[in-house]
Amino acid sequence: MKNNTMAILFAADAENHLNDLTIHRTTASLPFGGRYRLIDFALSNLVSANITKIGIITKNNYNSLMDHIRQGRDWDLNRKNGGISVYPPYVFNSSHDVYKGKIEALYTTRGFMLEASEEYVVIANTNIAFNIDFDEVEKFHIEKGADVTVLTYKVEDPIVRKVVVSADKNNRITDMRLAVDADKGAQLCTLNIYFIKKDLLISLVDTAYAYGYDDFERDILQKSLDSLYVMNYEVKDYVAVIDRIPSYFKHSMELLDPKVRESLFYKHSTILTKVKDSVPARYGVDSSVKNSIIADGCVIEGTVENSILFRSVKVGKGAVVRNSIVMEDGIIMENATLDYTITDKDVIIKDGRHLSGHESYPMVVVKGKVI
Amino acid sequence: MSINSKKKECLAMLLAGGQGTRLGVLTNEVAKPAVPFGAKYRIIDFPLSNCVNSGIDTIGVLTQYRPFELHQYIGNGQPWDLDRLNGGIYILPPFMRASSGEWYKGTANAIYQNIDFIDNYDPEYVVLLSGDHIYKMDYADMLREHKANRADCTIAVLEVPMEEASRFGILNLKGNTNQIVEFEEKPKNPKSNKASMGIYIFTWEVLRRYLIADEANPASENDFGKNIIPNMLNDKQRMFAYKFQGYWKDVGTISSLWEANMDILNNRESGLNLDDDKWKIYARNMAEPPHYVSPTGKVQHSLISEGTVVHGTVKDSVISHSVTIGKGAYVEGSIIMPGAVIEEGADVRYSIIGWGAKIGKNAMVGETLDQCRPGEWKISVIAPKYELTEGATVGANEMIG
Repeated sequence: MKNNTMAILFAADAENHLNDLTIHRTTASLPFGGRYRLIDFALSNLVSANITKIGIITKNNYNSLMDHIRQGRDWDLNRKNGGISVYPPYVFNSSHDVYKGKIEALYTTRGFMLEASEEYVVIANTNIAFNIDFDEVEKFHIEKGADVTVLTYKVEDPIVRKVVVSADKNNRITDMRLAVDADKGAQLCTLNIYFIKKDLLISLVDTAYAYGYDDFERDILQKSLDSLYVMNYEVKDYVAVIDRIPSYFKHSMELLDPKVRESLFYKHSTILTKVKDSVPARYGVDSSVKNSIIADGCVIEGTVENSILFRSVKVGKGAVVRNSIVMEDGIIMENATLDYTITDKDVIIKDGRHLSGHESYPMVVVKGKVI
Repeated sequence: MSINSKKKECLAMLLAGGQGTRLGVLTNEVAKPAVPFGAKYRIIDFPLSNCVNSGIDTIGVLTQYRPFELHQYIGNGQPWDLDRLNGGIYILPPFMRASSGEWYKGTANAIYQNIDFIDNYDPEYVVLLSGDHIYKMDYADMLREHKANRADCTIAVLEVPMEEASRFGILNLKGNTNQIVEFEEKPKNPKSNKASMGIYIFTWEVLRRYLIADEANPASENDFGKNIIPNMLNDKQRMFAYKFQGYWKDVGTISSLWEANMDILNNRESGLNLDDDKWKIYARNMAEPPHYVSPTGKVQHSLISEGTVVHGTVKDSVISHSVTIGKGAYVEGSIIMPGAVIEEGADVRYSIIGWGAKIGKNAMVGETLDQCRPGEWKISVIAPKYELTEGATVGANEMIG
């Protein structure tokens, strides 16, 4: 059945806080869960709900994203009608200025939205690992007669940058503001995923752009709480928002919990990603692996515990990888040890080296480094 | 009126219609080429990947026996890069004509019935492959030799140990040349150790004539090995052997299927290395997350693919995607096919567990084997989707389901 919804994804957001992991890439193409990139979750959820006209607004460093997505074939998005359109970050074709905020960014896709026949738009950040049913969101939006549906989730002791939401008993949002230190316990926060009628979005963006506004939440949503029905749709399934290295580490390690994997990989949507045709993982005679996620292409001769190994990682004899994340093509040579360490793609840890971070702040080894 | 059929110098025809009766319960519901292999592949991935890696982009797959799984697996050919505007992969089942229609009577008849398909591409050469061999081979190199020899037919051969030669179709060559003078099917007293690998390149114009003549002969069995090749030899056509060096195995029996899987595991000894960026073996991807080994899991000397969860002990085994191995379960020397469940406390040794099968709690399947002769392993087999009850026992070499 043809879906009446299109989507616009932001490839970059909060990336300044991921430091070493986003030097070479946008947040959207941050590797997660052993074989995925973060954008896989948004794309897979959309495709699963038959939302197949998807615009992606890039910011900087989008080569890795383009390389990952190609023509969208791995998500079944190589279509004659719809599919993926990638928008460079320039406000106008003639300008050299990269957009400042979401309002300008959305303004760059004005033509894309106007041309589309779809009635609704999903706008979403791509730093979220989740598995939800967008059909349910659409149903909620229509049943409630909402102008804007804001997807929210519960956050324990939210950090200052989170946007905290208050809603009345009918789920109408009555207040939105940045979290403050006093916000303790579980607070409802925006997921930065919105469901909105396309024509309304265009007119809100046009107006805000004319005033020179740039912040979608502050300058559009917050100011519309009285005049529009802005509704709260709380996502109760597992959600991982990746905005800092500790949250990246924490949410990665949560995948070792079978309940989290069940929710994230099997609940509503099949999570699709770029297919690399790696061989099955190979365990050596002396390997010892406990409580770990191991992707295809890995060759393990040593010890791996409480860790995540991405595709084609090699762990040499006598090497010990504990509480760590080793991204694609990493090589941990003989007798090297890693503890609370994240190594980016193509990192080599030579014989006998010892690296250790701390649970609250894991050590990060930048892409391609040899230690 | 031909659609997207520009001339191709060379195309491949893949015989995938055989039942594979010697694989027993594994081919009850699927054709042999669709049988899972090596944790994430199907047997047919090998000839298909070889074609693509050799630059052959037009492939006809001849199906007949239980074709649905195979058709679905191949789909539009995208996993092998065979979704092409010009050429690509075509499933060729038997079909009706205006006045008649029949099943494929034999391998030669299967190609004969598809002469129109081949003619559509007006090829100079046709590569003939079967869907039950595990190997990596550059057909382009074989074609170069075929052309250099101005051959009518080139047959790939493998030098096997002389004492095993009587198990194969053996080609006898003229002096020190590669020219074939005689073909003997499983000879009692082999004169050479050059075994046919069942991989042929024909000059199409010549093969076409022989196919038509063969079809006109009511006494013929319409088989390449029994009719076409002997006829061409009798007529002194230019026939050459192409000496292949490397890993090759016919996986037509339970024992050889098990062996070939173990050969990937023991890649250094066997020479079957699949982790080769220059010669990838492509397969349809199942979109599963990476596999997980739990705190109680123990894995040694094994292959494991995506979506699998290991709570028990795994040793010397090939574990496919989407498998569950329960707490306290023990798996040794076995092939666990996709989606199988080995429940808590079950003990599986030297066995092949079919896809989707379930081995109940504390069941015992197979036995640890002493060293056996190649091809004579006493492997236990549990049929695909079979549910073995809790506590049941299955002996060595038994086939259940």
